[in-house]
Amino acid sequence: MLKSALRWWSGILIAFLVVAGLRLLMPLPFANEILIFSIYVMGHNFLLGRVGFISFGQPAYLGVGAYAAAFYLFYFGHNPYVGILLGLLAGLLVTLLIGPLFVRLRSDYFALVNLALAVIMYYLMEKVLAGITHGDNGLWFLARMTSTPVLDLTKPSQFFVFTLLLAVLLWGFYKYLDETVYGACCLATKVNEDKVQFLGYSNFRIRWLAFVIANTTTALAGSLYAVYFGFVSPEITSFHRAADPVVVTILGGVGTLYGPLVGAIAYTGMKDVLSRVIVNWEFFVGFLLVLIMLAGEKGIWGTLEPLLRRPLPLRRLLPAAGDRR
Amino acid sequence: MDRQLLISGIIFGLSMGSIYFLLAIGLSLCFGLMRIISLDQLLYYSVGAYLTYTVQVATGNIWMAVLVGALVAGAVSLVVERFVFFRIYARDITFTMITSFGVLIGGVGTIKYIWGLIPRPAEVPVQAQVSILGTPVPVYRLIVVALAVLVYLGITLFLNRTITGKAIRAGIEDVDHVEGLGINVYRLFTITFVVAGVFSGLAGGLHAPLIMVDPQMGLNVLAFVFMVVIIGGLGSIKGTLVSAFLVGQVTSLGSLIYAPLAQMAPFAIMLGILLIRPTGLYGSKLLKR
Repeated sequence: MLKSALRWWSGILIAFLVVAGLRLLMPLPFANEILIFSIYVMGHNFLLGRVGFISFGQPAYLGVGAYAAAFYLFYFGHNPYVGILLGLLAGLLVTLLIGPLFVRLRSDYFALVNLALAVIMYYLMEKVLAGITHGDNGLWFLARMTSTPVLDLTKPSQFFVFTLLLAVLLWGFYKYLDETVYGACCLATKVNEDKVQFLGYSNFRIRWLAFVIANTTTALAGSLYAVYFGFVSPEITSFHRAADPVVVTILGGVGTLYGPLVGAIAYTGMKDVLSRVIVNWEFFVGFLLVLIMLAGEKGIWGTLEPLLRRPLPLRRLLPAAGDRR
Repeated sequence: MDRQLLISGIIFGLSMGSIYFLLAIGLSLCFGLMRIISLDQLLYYSVGAYLTYTVQVATGNIWMAVLVGALVAGAVSLVVERFVFFRIYARDITFTMITSFGVLIGGVGTIKYIWGLIPRPAEVPVQAQVSILGTPVPVYRLIVVALAVLVYLGITLFLNRTITGKAIRAGIEDVDHVEGLGINVYRLFTITFVVAGVFSGLAGGLHAPLIMVDPQMGLNVLAFVFMVVIIGGLGSIKGTLVSAFLVGQVTSLGSLIYAPLAQMAPFAIMLGILLIRPTGLYGSKLLKR
């Protein structure tokens, strides 16, 4: 019993032990950023890899979570845990409400309608609600957050531990999701929606639930960003960075469990290193993206995984490779 | 509302709509025929604008500059088509979208490398103003509108009167049958892609004197252009024209009522239209797959 549970979790634990090891080698802000960023990308990875929906508007949901946490911490309370919880709940509420409208659309329209939502969010936060959000100046609440007993989120080193635990749980959740009937339904609706209908499942409900799960995860990442920086400005919903989650999803490997993590490490590292050496790192990111796509869209983890599987006795531990349509 | 303000607002909206139309027509054609979402059209737009600026500074003749910008943009699109898109036409539509986004980002990086980060001003070629109902209106904006209408007429004639155009229209309906008739569809694809690139470059060249030319300009209009294509319905030329002018007017008149509305109102309208008609105003059900 315990043994099989350990085996089930071992892949995830190994992956995050590696990240915890990175913490020793890398500066702390870098490790924190990687963790939050990979949670952010995880939502889009699920959306694109499982249901086949690509979204250029993830910053919108990031903003929902971030601003929910920020409003609470700036105006009402002091406890960062409540802020994160509120971010999660706000994400859940928003996605439940707008999900039915969005998931009816075809994948390409879906991508662009989400982009539109991100633009609306940006101007809403920057101009229309400027009285509450303080416009471009943003909300600063780092000093307002109080220390909490067990894991003190106001300290970056303990924030890292919290985020690491949260990420392990999330990855476990997504791994579990892949094994359920619902996970199979998601893949099925991506491949052939007519057949799913014949089997008696509702495409609409499958997609709606997937939308809610994925973008609640994104909102959670948003609230983590808010608590980590102690500062939220409209910049977080900026549509200029709308491509980041898409790029990282592809870079890591679409639909693979560890793709977002690998992609986040590679992308953040690349940006960090390249931007120090050269100004226009966009050129390399774009070039790399095209190369990966031409090489067969498997991404870094998608390419590495079969290589890792062969010589090591990890066969049963690592999850099945991401599907390719 | 003040009548003078209203008239200049309408003219502003019309000229913005014209620029959007020129950009969106390329996207729309590429989607209709090749079933690709070609975000890199925004790159050709920036290339057109930058070359217009450069040639204008070098020679002083803006009309020649616009022409050079459009042609070079077309040449760049030909290169990209040969090396990137030619290999991926058969792939999934989201696949092409991501690839073209990579091309766009890479291109923006290249532009930053060549021209630097500082926004550049291009000179307005026609300084004259005419009076419409007592309101002074810049002639250049009227010329832009006239050119967009000419392009619309030209492309309609091309699609309806020439063999190549008819083949492209047939290809939009069913590309396999066109191939079955012995027509080389890949040549059609190349022609369409380059035509789209030239129009995007033209849009950039014409837009350059109205705004500052900066590396991010493609990304700035990206959302608006996509909105135009989506409201009009992917693959429909007429729908693109109608929705381009609709979006132009909503942006322009919206900003007269309440400034933040300028950026948000078009998106709200798009959401509304898509929720009623998920394929856009003129998008046909046939294209659904």
